[in-house]
Amino acid sequence: MHMADALLSPAVGGTMWAVTAGLTAYSARKLQNSPDESRVPLMGVLGAFIFAAQMINFSIPATGSSGHLGGGMILAILLGPYAAFLVLASVLIVQALFFADGGLLALGCNIFNMAFFPCFFAYPFIYRKMAGNRPSQKKILVAATLSAVIALQLGAFSVVLETVASGISELPFATFLLLMQPIHLAIGLVEGLVTAAVVSFVWKARPEVLQSAAQNAPLGGISLRKVLVGLGAAAVITGGALSWFASSYPDGLEWSMARTAGTEELETPQEGIHGALAALQEKLAFLPDYGFRTAPEAEAQQVEAEESANQWPAVDPGTTVSGLVGGGLTLILAGMIGIVLRRVSSSRS
Amino acid sequence: MSHHFLEIKDLCYTYPDGTEALKGLSFRLEHGEAVGVVGANGAGKSTMLLALAGLVIPSGGSVNVGGTLLSKSTLGEIRRRLGFLFQDPEDQLFMPTVFDDVAFGPLNQGLSAREVSERVMDALNGVGAGRLADRPTHRLSGGEKRAVAIATVLSMLPDILVMDEPSSGLDPRGRRLLIGLLKNFTHTRMVATHDLDMVLELCPRTIVLHEGTLVADGPTANIFEDMDLLERCHLEPPLCMQGKCP
Amino acid sequence: MPQIPSFSAMTPGSSRADRLDPRAKWIVTFAFVVAVSSFGKYEVSRITPLFLYPVAIMAVSGVPVRSLLGKTLLALPFILFVGLFNPFFDREVLLNLWGYSITGGWVSFFSITLRSLLAVSSAVLLVMTTPFDRLCLGLEKLRVPRILVTQLNFLHRYMFLLRDETQRMVRAHHLRSRGNKPKIALSTAGSMIGLLLLRALDRATRIHGAMLVRGFDGEVRLLRPLCFSCSRDGAFILCWMFFFLLARFVNLPVWLYGWMVGK
Repeated sequence: MHMADALLSPAVGGTMWAVTAGLTAYSARKLQNSPDESRVPLMGVLGAFIFAAQMINFSIPATGSSGHLGGGMILAILLGPYAAFLVLASVLIVQALFFADGGLLALGCNIFNMAFFPCFFAYPFIYRKMAGNRPSQKKILVAATLSAVIALQLGAFSVVLETVASGISELPFATFLLLMQPIHLAIGLVEGLVTAAVVSFVWKARPEVLQSAAQNAPLGGISLRKVLVGLGAAAVITGGALSWFASSYPDGLEWSMARTAGTEELETPQEGIHGALAALQEKLAFLPDYGFRTAPEAEAQQVEAEESANQWPAVDPGTTVSGLVGGGLTLILAGMIGIVLRRVSSSRS
Repeated sequence: MSHHFLEIKDLCYTYPDGTEALKGLSFRLEHGEAVGVVGANGAGKSTMLLALAGLVIPSGGSVNVGGTLLSKSTLGEIRRRLGFLFQDPEDQLFMPTVFDDVAFGPLNQGLSAREVSERVMDALNGVGAGRLADRPTHRLSGGEKRAVAIATVLSMLPDILVMDEPSSGLDPRGRRLLIGLLKNFTHTRMVATHDLDMVLELCPRTIVLHEGTLVADGPTANIFEDMDLLERCHLEPPLCMQGKCP
Repeated sequence: MPQIPSFSAMTPGSSRADRLDPRAKWIVTFAFVVAVSSFGKYEVSRITPLFLYPVAIMAVSGVPVRSLLGKTLLALPFILFVGLFNPFFDREVLLNLWGYSITGGWVSFFSITLRSLLAVSSAVLLVMTTPFDRLCLGLEKLRVPRILVTQLNFLHRYMFLLRDETQRMVRAHHLRSRGNKPKIALSTAGSMIGLLLLRALDRATRIHGAMLVRGFDGEVRLLRPLCFSCSRDGAFILCWMFFFLLARFVNLPVWLYGWMVGK
């Protein structure tokens, strides 16, 4: 469920980075206001625990495939929302750097998709409400499963929105949605079951751990209204930012062709807010046939419908070749520079 | 008249589940003494050390370090005077690099950057680990971890060193290096361990614990020759005194 | 079982790349990723000049090509899987090359592949050429909240240890199970993870104790000066930023072709 840099546009990536940075600063400040020095080693070790636990691949009954723990809900239950958010953020940062899971630009999206929903939504409003301070085995099971399912559904939905808004992947909104949501429903169920199993295990072996976690992790400050307002603000900011960056939205057959073939720079079409929003809207519309884009259909989606009506790729072979050969030459040149640099640096050291 | 003494009187501790771990321990350690603490598993060695560190609150009795009684308000002061080496060096080396770990104590003591650097390099050189200063802590060998862990304690210039199983997990060479190191220490020190041969080499005096009580306190050689005592406490003489292949 | 790549096994030596201020590295890496992502979805040849960055860093820092490639390619399968939908959905023919019609879908797929290689390799290089604690120090000096930086350091410190513990546990399970590739049942996984968790909690308590006896009061202090050298680090940032902007707005491959053909 990680977003990748390659499928992300700077506009979407940057917006999500801003949101995540805000959430991180907010969580850090909340923790500073309620200092607890035992938290430092606890957060560190639990982060390492999540990493290690994700290496246990178990078989999912009735499917034959395997899965592993995500860990968001467990962390939220043990640490409370703010600390859990930061721990999850740290895990995702290390994953991006060491596993190349996701990427640096996509980190803002990934932290939001995978840490915000379990910590600030599912945990306070679903798990806590259902399981409370004196959980029974059944309550734990139901609460954990429901929280995990909802958190993952919301996270998966965010991935779809971010990918579609970036415009690099061709997957239509509807198709992507129909791919992501059911898969993550299953993943969510499994996550919920494993979370419930672990929480029950801990509850039976060391109930004081969960009790003190619930006591030390006050939910002060999180109200549903605040969360919804926050999400609404994020949506407005995102929409505004995207339309501001509308000029980077690739559009127009001939314009794309020219870019591919490497001909002279064309002016980026200045569509303005209306054009971009209209285009975005069309992309999000549910297409009955999942929209294979061939020339006539693409035309229907273009804002400048008429211009592209008669365009057919009559590319001048010369300009195509110059771009492609130039590209190859560039790579060779880069490689040669690299070899030279390597020689120079190893002779110096 | 030295202040570096450690005195325990009637120390008691009961676990939350009701197990009595310490049942009235009393002894006194004078300045410069080296004492070994031995006993079977579960005898209470580690619990006693935790109580000394103030990490568990005794249910009875007192701990007196150089005239200061251990209490909630004197925890900081006591911990400045006692240097603790715990059983697993992984728990003790929690900073990113060796330098950071050895500097942790002095930095918490509020020393200046220059003083901290001096203390760190002195401590590391003292344990023969000067070249490891920039190494990440998760990439040290077992012996190196142990040496650096000792340095993390030494850099705080404690009066009394308390060590829990310092030689466990070390290969013969590492163990030999450790013993050589400890022999050169002039600190008052207390070593809780199963390694009776090391106790014989390092500690003229030994305390024997059995089921939370102190059953013997005297010269090491005498204690290790008392076969009845050792058997009662589920112990054996050191290997070098057994005179045959064990 | 997914392995945590042992990036840290590659000891960053004293190559020139390592002496750079980590802040400069973070800034340039980030700018690079943004530059890569800012190209339109059908751009292919115009992205190629950006390969100079990972190639140059790799060359100067001494990172072996094979390790870099290996670690980069590990990340690709998932991206390519999503990218492969593009040729499926985008069938408008964009170019005719020597008799072959190439659809937009394939062009964008190729573009996605190039972007992935670039983005992933830059992150991999960042980690392979900088000790992790220096990376975290750089983040702290870049105003990332202290508590998150401390968390990153602790996480990095203990993740290898807990990974090894987990491996031992899983191996023990496999040794007592039947078959060549034994599967762990869901319920078993629950207890295994639960046990790992309890052990982790115990370890956290012990570490906390070790911190307390060394005077811990809640604040983790580090003695680490960072010196930003305007000549070295400033130049590093400015030169690469200039190059990224140049590659973004000037069609370098075509220019290169024109220059070579015009000779």
